[in-house]
Amino acid sequence: MPLCTGTVQGGEVMATKNAADHALTTSRRQNFKKHFGANWQVYALLMPAITYFIIFNYIPMYGVQIAFKDYIANLGFWGSPFVGFEHFERFFDSYYFWRLLKNTLILSLYELLLFPLPIIFALALHELSYGKFKRWSQTLTYAPHFISVVVVVGMIVAFLDPITGLVNHIIEFFGGTSQNFLTDPNWFRHIFVWSGQWQSLGWGTIIYLAALAGVNPELLEAAKVDGASRLQRIMHINIPAIMPTIVVLFILNMGNFMAIGFQKVLLLQNNLNSETSDIIATFVYETGILEGQYSFSTAVGLFESAINIIVLVSANYLARKVSDNSLW
Amino acid sequence: MRVTRLLMIIIVFGVFLTACGKAEQQSFEGPTDEELENLNETGMPIVEEQISLEFFAGQAPATNPDWNDVLVFNEYEERTNMDIKWKMVPHDSIAEQRNLALGSGSLPDAFHSAQLGLSDIAKYGEQGVFIPLNDLIDKYAPNFKKILDDHPVIRNAITMPDGNIYSFPLISDPEFASHRIQARPFINKKWLDELGMDMPQTTDEFYQFLTAVKNDLGEVPFGGPYISTLTQYLLGSFGLATRGGSNSYIDEDPETGDIRFYPVSDDYKEMLEYVHKLYDEELIENNIFSIDHHQFITNLGDGKYGSVVWFAPEEVASKENGGNYIGMPTLEGPHGDKLLTKIGDPVQSPGAFVITNENENPASTVRWIDYFYGEEGMELFFMGVEGETFEKADDGSIQFMDHITQSEDGLTFEEEIAKYLTFPGGGFPSMVNEKFFQGVANAPQSLEASDKLEPDMIDDDKIWPTLTYTKEEINQLQGFGTDIEKYVGEMTDKFISGAEPLSKWDAYVAEIENMGLEDYLEIKEAALERQLK
Repeated sequence: MPLCTGTVQGGEVMATKNAADHALTTSRRQNFKKHFGANWQVYALLMPAITYFIIFNYIPMYGVQIAFKDYIANLGFWGSPFVGFEHFERFFDSYYFWRLLKNTLILSLYELLLFPLPIIFALALHELSYGKFKRWSQTLTYAPHFISVVVVVGMIVAFLDPITGLVNHIIEFFGGTSQNFLTDPNWFRHIFVWSGQWQSLGWGTIIYLAALAGVNPELLEAAKVDGASRLQRIMHINIPAIMPTIVVLFILNMGNFMAIGFQKVLLLQNNLNSETSDIIATFVYETGILEGQYSFSTAVGLFESAINIIVLVSANYLARKVSDNSLW
Repeated sequence: MRVTRLLMIIIVFGVFLTACGKAEQQSFEGPTDEELENLNETGMPIVEEQISLEFFAGQAPATNPDWNDVLVFNEYEERTNMDIKWKMVPHDSIAEQRNLALGSGSLPDAFHSAQLGLSDIAKYGEQGVFIPLNDLIDKYAPNFKKILDDHPVIRNAITMPDGNIYSFPLISDPEFASHRIQARPFINKKWLDELGMDMPQTTDEFYQFLTAVKNDLGEVPFGGPYISTLTQYLLGSFGLATRGGSNSYIDEDPETGDIRFYPVSDDYKEMLEYVHKLYDEELIENNIFSIDHHQFITNLGDGKYGSVVWFAPEEVASKENGGNYIGMPTLEGPHGDKLLTKIGDPVQSPGAFVITNENENPASTVRWIDYFYGEEGMELFFMGVEGETFEKADDGSIQFMDHITQSEDGLTFEEEIAKYLTFPGGGFPSMVNEKFFQGVANAPQSLEASDKLEPDMIDDDKIWPTLTYTKEEINQLQGFGTDIEKYVGEMTDKFISGAEPLSKWDAYVAEIENMGLEDYLEIKEAALERQLK
């Protein structure tokens, strides 16, 4: 089962970091007591979050050990015989390993490439002075976010159907030939990524808009007076102002690098497009849940998480080097 | 220091969370004298002094939610003097709850309708968690024993690699063809008449019918929720699956008599060519590889298809247009093959009932369950109690009473009967038969279609049972075996759709051989020999 190793939440990390810094600067135990006595309310507020992470994100990790064992239900996690890296070897040697890895990486990279879209959209929205139109566009672009995956896939299937689908009717109207989008491996990635973008574009702008709202209007006024064009104001004031937000969100995104919306892939998958739609997560589901190979699928999931951590840590390192902004 | 403390915490947590008992490795010695004293070997009640047992009960969404107080088991408790405490476990969490029960050491006396698969039965049987039933069946299960003796294929299908039987399965009455055929071919009678054509008898005539539907009527000739509905039906027309449908992809080579992986055979290629031709000429609905299941049912209900391979349209789609469809016979292929080979062995679910090593009354429990494989017990299980749920007519036929067929609360038959009986939802240890079972398989349209197919159905003694594997074999099959099967599944669809041209056939065969076909067949052959001996 895949772990949520990637989903470190920014706020929590910051909070614990500050608290820990305080505790460490003064000399240990006694000072800690004093410190704790003075700040216990803060710790109390922190407790629910910590408890949540311990219970749902850390304790389940002990189950990861079955990746190195031959899990037998009635012997339990500890009692099952140890087999070392057997499951990993099997996965690396398996016929579909390279295809799975390739598809997972390409799909992730493709999604990552679209990372700037919400930023551009937020900057554009921010420039809109006519309030009503701005509100309308925001609401319209938020709305798809609230549609569940199953419904979205139902819509995709209905729109792209080669016989009854709207898209193909339009293509045929303009003299083209009907395309079987859903069974063509070349189309899968575009369908998946752009339908995801359609769903999340508006929602993704929220944080940037909030950051943009914090830009000092005096700066903008001054730039205007100095004759800066609109584009120059965006390039030299707005973007630098939201840069820290961009970097943090980018790193967080990297943390979820391999965590592609697995349900949607599974729902859109069929034998004809699996050339490009077969990813590690769906493979884990097939072997783990459908075939009951718990140890093997845990090993595969662990492999995926390991890549995720590497990506996250290197993204953070790079961000710190390049921009001075980083998660930790 | 801090690291050690952290480690301690982790270890304590771990131990605390995995406080699971180990499986007891004891072998079963047969019923105790104490039990036998209390047991009547024939007739009712089963036990003199009342005993109480705890059963794990898999609860399908459609069944009665509390079997502790339901007509069928209340009545049966009175007849047997055995009080069953049912632990109801809804299907959503059944695998989890089952594994928990099996892992925790606090086992129920038996698992009823718990969907245990062959590999679980083999595994827990070998570990001694489930008790071997061979001797108990001989002595205390006359009804079930008779079924096994009459139909060796059933005995083969539930015998594990160690030679023991650990479970009572859900079986279809081997005579009840309509239930065993599952999805069956239907053809649009209205259009057939409009075109002035006769019922297709060969694959060529079927092709002509489909072409006529497309060209003369401008309608969709064939539709389905997935392409394999059609290929499964056609297997036998191309001389494939000569040993039935229980084991996908393997059969007996008709020429050499050896085991064969038929997706690499020339016959299979020929079938793919045929189906590809249909798809290429748009005689199969273009979106069959991606169609939404409900969309298919809606289309079928609207009568939009010239032919389908599915369940009685009248029952599953719509009464109105569904009636246009009539059954189609098995088609004769290009080389004169005419056999419906997709039929599996009659075992529908192997692990419908198992007895655990915690059970102190195994003989009584075997007698308890055996009743449901006999005439009287099946009547109780599928029909209920005379005067309360069903009536007997003068001619001996039995039927449900009006308050069940015409529900006062406006419920469907299944919802109404679930108030009294537990069979809706399936998976139960008993035998589905034509006389007592009321379901789609027994609807007139289903029977009409299966009557047409029955003459060409593969013989029961030809059918290889679902193979069971040793732990070692399972490990190997889960490695390259699943890869091979996945590859075949993908390539089959690609050949049919034309995404891969059939000129690449040789490369496809070579690829499969490369993936370990030889080892794959060796495992299958070993399992087969073990099971058929």
